[in-house]
Parts: sequence; C-alpha cells; structure tokens
Amino acid sequence: MKRLRAVRELSTVAILIAEVLFFAWYLWPDAGRAHPFLNAENALLILKYSSIYGIAAVGAAVVIISGGIDLAPGAVIALSGVVTGYHFVAHDWALVPSIAAGLSVGVLSGLLTSLLIVNAKLPPFIATLGMMGITRGIAFIITEGQYYDVSSRLPAGWRPLGVPIDWLAPIVMFAMALIFQVVMTRFQWGRSVFSIGGNETAALFSGIAIGRVKASVYVISGVLASLAGVVLVLVQGQGKADLATGYELDIIASAVVGGASLAGGRGSVMGAVLGTLIFGVLRNALPQIPGATFYDRLIVGVVVIIIVVVDQLLLRRSSKS
Amino acid sequence: MNRARLLIVSLLFAAGCGAGAAGCSIGCPGPPPRTDAATPRKLRFAIIPKALDIPVFNYAKIGADRAAQEYGDVEVLWNAPASADQLKQKEILESYITQRVDGIAISSLNGEFLKDTINRAIDAGIPVTTWDSDAPTSKRIAFYGVDDLASGRIMGEQAIALLNGKGKVALITSLGAANLQNRLAGVKEALAKAPGIEVVETYDIKEDVIRCAEIIASGSRRYPDLAAWISVGGWPVFTRNALASVDPSKTKVISFDTISPALDILREGKVQVLLGQKYFGWGSESVRLLRDIKQGKNPPAAIIDSGVDIVTRDNVDAYEQQWKKMSGQD
Repeated sequence: MKRLRAVRELSTVAILIAEVLFFAWYLWPDAGRAHPFLNAENALLILKYSSIYGIAAVGAAVVIISGGIDLAPGAVIALSGVVTGYHFVAHDWALVPSIAAGLSVGVLSGLLTSLLIVNAKLPPFIATLGMMGITRGIAFIITEGQYYDVSSRLPAGWRPLGVPIDWLAPIVMFAMALIFQVVMTRFQWGRSVFSIGGNETAALFSGIAIGRVKASVYVISGVLASLAGVVLVLVQGQGKADLATGYELDIIASAVVGGASLAGGRGSVMGAVLGTLIFGVLRNALPQIPGATFYDRLIVGVVVIIIVVVDQLLLRRSSKS
Repeated sequence: MNRARLLIVSLLFAAGCGAGAAGCSIGCPGPPPRTDAATPRKLRFAIIPKALDIPVFNYAKIGADRAAQEYGDVEVLWNAPASADQLKQKEILESYITQRVDGIAISSLNGEFLKDTINRAIDAGIPVTTWDSDAPTSKRIAFYGVDDLASGRIMGEQAIALLNGKGKVALITSLGAANLQNRLAGVKEALAKAPGIEVVETYDIKEDVIRCAEIIASGSRRYPDLAAWISVGGWPVFTRNALASVDPSKTKVISFDTISPALDILREGKVQVLLGQKYFGWGSESVRLLRDIKQGKNPPAAIIDSGVDIVTRDNVDAYEQQWKKMSGQD
C-alpha cells in the first residue's frame, strides 16, 4: 500500500513536469520576446492562485480518504474572508483577532457538519450541501452585496512575518500539505482515517472510534477551507460573499486527480496539492494558445477523466500483482 | 504504467491544443511558426471581458478582431473567466502582465478589486484601458463605455413617459458590478422626480437569466398591478421566454441591451424600450485606443462616453439594418 501511494504521487509529479515541459515547448516565443509561460514571475502567479484551492484541497483529500465528501469549502472560503473583513474593517478589530474570527467559521461549520453526519446520520453529500448554502447565505446577509476593503487597512507593501504577500498563500499551502502528509502517514489518527474509508465495518471491529475520527475530519476540512479564505482576503484585499463560487468542485477534482478515490480509503494530501498545481498550469497556459479560450474547460474535463481512468487501471493491476 | 500515464496525458495535451487551434492561426499541433527577426512584430493586446458566457461580449470580440484585421499590426488575445468570477478575472489580468503583452483592455467585474493589479500593469509599462465597466480609482489610462448614471436616468425618464408619471415599478439588477450600481442610481434618481411612481422592489438576479425569468414570474404574481419592469441589464431580453408571465397591456418593460432576441421581443410588444450599447465599439475602440497609446497618442479624455441607442418600435428596423452591417451579416 505504501509503495502504491509513493508510485501514485511520483506519477502525479511526472504528469505535472510533463505538462510544464509541454507548454514550455508549445508556447516558445517569437524571436526577441520573453517566454510567456516559463518564467519565475509566471511560476509564482500559478502558485499564488493555485494555493487557495490547494489549502482547501488538503482538507478535501482527508475527507475523501475517510470515505466522505465536502461540498462546502468554496462557501466557507467566502464566509471566512467576509467575517475577517467584517471585524477588521467594519469594527476596527486588530488583524490577529479578525483572523481568529475568520478561522472560527471553519471550526463552527466543521462542527455543525460533524453533528449532522455523525449524530443525525445524514449522508455527507446532503449535510455539506446544506452547509454550503448556509455559509454562502450568511456571507451575503453580512455583506448585502457590498465588500470589505481589507487592503485599505493594511499598510502599503505589507509583509506578514517578513514574507512578501504573494508568497503567503504558497507557503501556507506547502506547510499544510507537509503537516497533514506526516499526520496521515505517521500517526494513528491518519491510519484510522484510511481504515474508515477503506472498510468502515472492519475499522469499527478493530476498535477505532469512528464517530470521533469522522467528526475531526470535517472540522479539519472546515478549518483548512477557512484558512484558505483568510489567506485569500489578506492576499487579494477584499472580503466578498461571491468569491470562490463553485470552487468546491475544482477542489474535489484536484484531490481526485492527485490520487484520492471517491470510494474512500485511498489518496494522498500531497497528491491533492499536486492536483491543484496541474489545474493551475492548465488554467494559466491554455488561454495563451491562440483560439484555445473556448476549449480549455473541455480539455480540463478530459484530463480529469483520463487521469482517473488510468489511476483505476493502475490500482487494478497492483491489486492483481 | 507510469510511462503509459505520462504518454496519454502528453498526447491529450497535444490533441487538445490542436483542437483549440482549429479555425485560428495554428493549423496543427506543435508550436506556432516563429517570426524571423526582419518581420515586424505585431502588437499583442489582451482584451478581457467580464465572462465568456455573457452574450453581449461576443460582439465586442467581433469589433476587436475586425479592428485588428484592419490595422494589420495587432494581435488580439481574448480571454475571460468562463462565468463571472472576480478572482479568476484577476488571475487572467495578472497572467497577461507576466506575459508582457503590449496593452490590456478590461471590462472590470469589480474595479476596486482590480485596482492594484491594474496599477501594477501601468507601473510595468503596460497601458491599460477599461471598457463597459470601469475601474475609476485605478491608474487606467482611459475608459470607453456608457455614462452609466446618465443611461440610468434615460431609462427612468422613458419609464415616466410610458407610464404618464404614475404606477408601481419593479427594478432588476445584479449586485456587485459598479456600472450596474450606477445605472440603478440613475434610474432611481429620475424616478424620484415623478411623485406618482412607486418603486415596489429592487431584485438582485445575480447575473443569471434563468433566475431573472423566475423573479419576473413571481414578481408579476406578487404585484398584479405592476405598471413597469425596469432592468439595468439585458437579462429579461437575453431569452425569449423570460417575459412570458408579463401582460403587455398592463405592464411595460424597459430593458438595457439590444442583442438577439431582444429586437424580436420588442417587435412582439413584450418590451417597449431598449437601450443599446456600442457593443462592437467596446472591442474596436479598445484596440484603437491601445494602438494610439503605443504610438504616443494619448486619448482626448480619460472617460470616453460611447452614448446609448434608444430603440423602440418606431426605429427598430433601421437599428437592425445598422446592426447587421456592423456584424458583417449584411
């Protein structure tokens, strides 16, 4: 199993490298022009925008590995940003307590989701669908269609902890990926998540506290989505209710492309982050091809299907051997 | 197995890019032909609408492409989020800055949100203009589009004339975009001058034509004595059935935008007044402005009012003839 996971992560890295090499070749510039894709500034751009998905995808991967699904991250991202902005801009709170308020959105929505799934026995799809509507709705009620201009209260050229603002999101994403990769592979809790996703009955008979682990999974997903929301509002400077609309599907797709199985019991946090980067490169490079603007969604859709189909084949062959 | 996975994905990218290039400058997979040093370099202008799924912007693309073809030294890069998404629009804007394009013309989903990024482009030496929806607090060089407040006032005045200054009115908008907020303010300002007119509701349809149809149906039931719907965007006339629940003998409709099927709906009598924008001009004027700026000619003013066309049953045929000519259907 460990070997299979390593193989899958390596192959996701290989796909990402192949993708970068392909676009580097395809978008080779005319004489006298700088390369439009292969440059440090563009790499940072891809990282910066992919990280918002990536931070939330870490949580989504944990949920998917446990055999569940979370449809709320996009809405939680928006509400966390709005709550941070509401306290920081409208009520003149200091930045740190405002951020704490934003993160509390994730804790609360995660706890509520856990109650619905573990105690009320609602299917995760329904519980998180409801939570998506509730959190997005609260964000609209707070803002009434307006926004909180967080950047107006941050000093010009603000560098959180000395880090350039554009680097904040990628650093948070890689830090979260590293922490949860270790937690998922080296700690009992992580192994329990895999066990529950692989075979819940077997996990129950082996003494795992299913309810508690499942509850913690949804709280973690909520907290990571709210962390993405707080990072988003700090980097982009606005807390707005309609930000990150529909991102939940991109986040889930990233986790799946990174090797997570929607049947549960299989997947990797690092793979999910690599999945967001695969999409980030596509999102950045495809529009640079003349005429490809209207084709990029089709290509992204086909890429998802191909990668998942090949993953299934890989799994079947490994199981046989 | 890893190799197989790699190969499939690489082939897919190649196939996809080939497909994407069909009907454009690239005929087959592989990098575009390199221009040699002696060939004059084309100016690459990025034209960014609010979203790809908003029909009016197709005409801006026609205008931009036609202007580029006429000039011969301009290449238009057309891209936007698939549907209205401010963060994705900002990402696209930033990607054009890293690509060092020669100019950017953008219809802002949220001007304040884009302000810093537009300023960064200007600081990097890339001229930026806005069209349709402005980013007035940014360093953008010029804005081309309607004076939204004035066009809102025109809508309000048309409504007062149609209703003889009395009756209940419901307004339709989509919260968020600054241009729509200004139009709405203009409508309300004009209506406030007619004491016999009562605004019963302002509906937010969230840029969604289906939601717009739903709201018109439910609003018509809620207010059976409604005298007029005023929409500051073209959502009621983007689909043929959105106004099915409206009885034209009781309720008048004044809407922005004149793209198909709006003119047919006007002829059917479901709409009484349409306000048309300079859709083709959004693209062609943006290209012209950016090209002029690159040649050292600054625009005459920071705000270039394109004006609006007021279309009623009296002038709809003449307007359509002109439209066909502009879109090359004539």
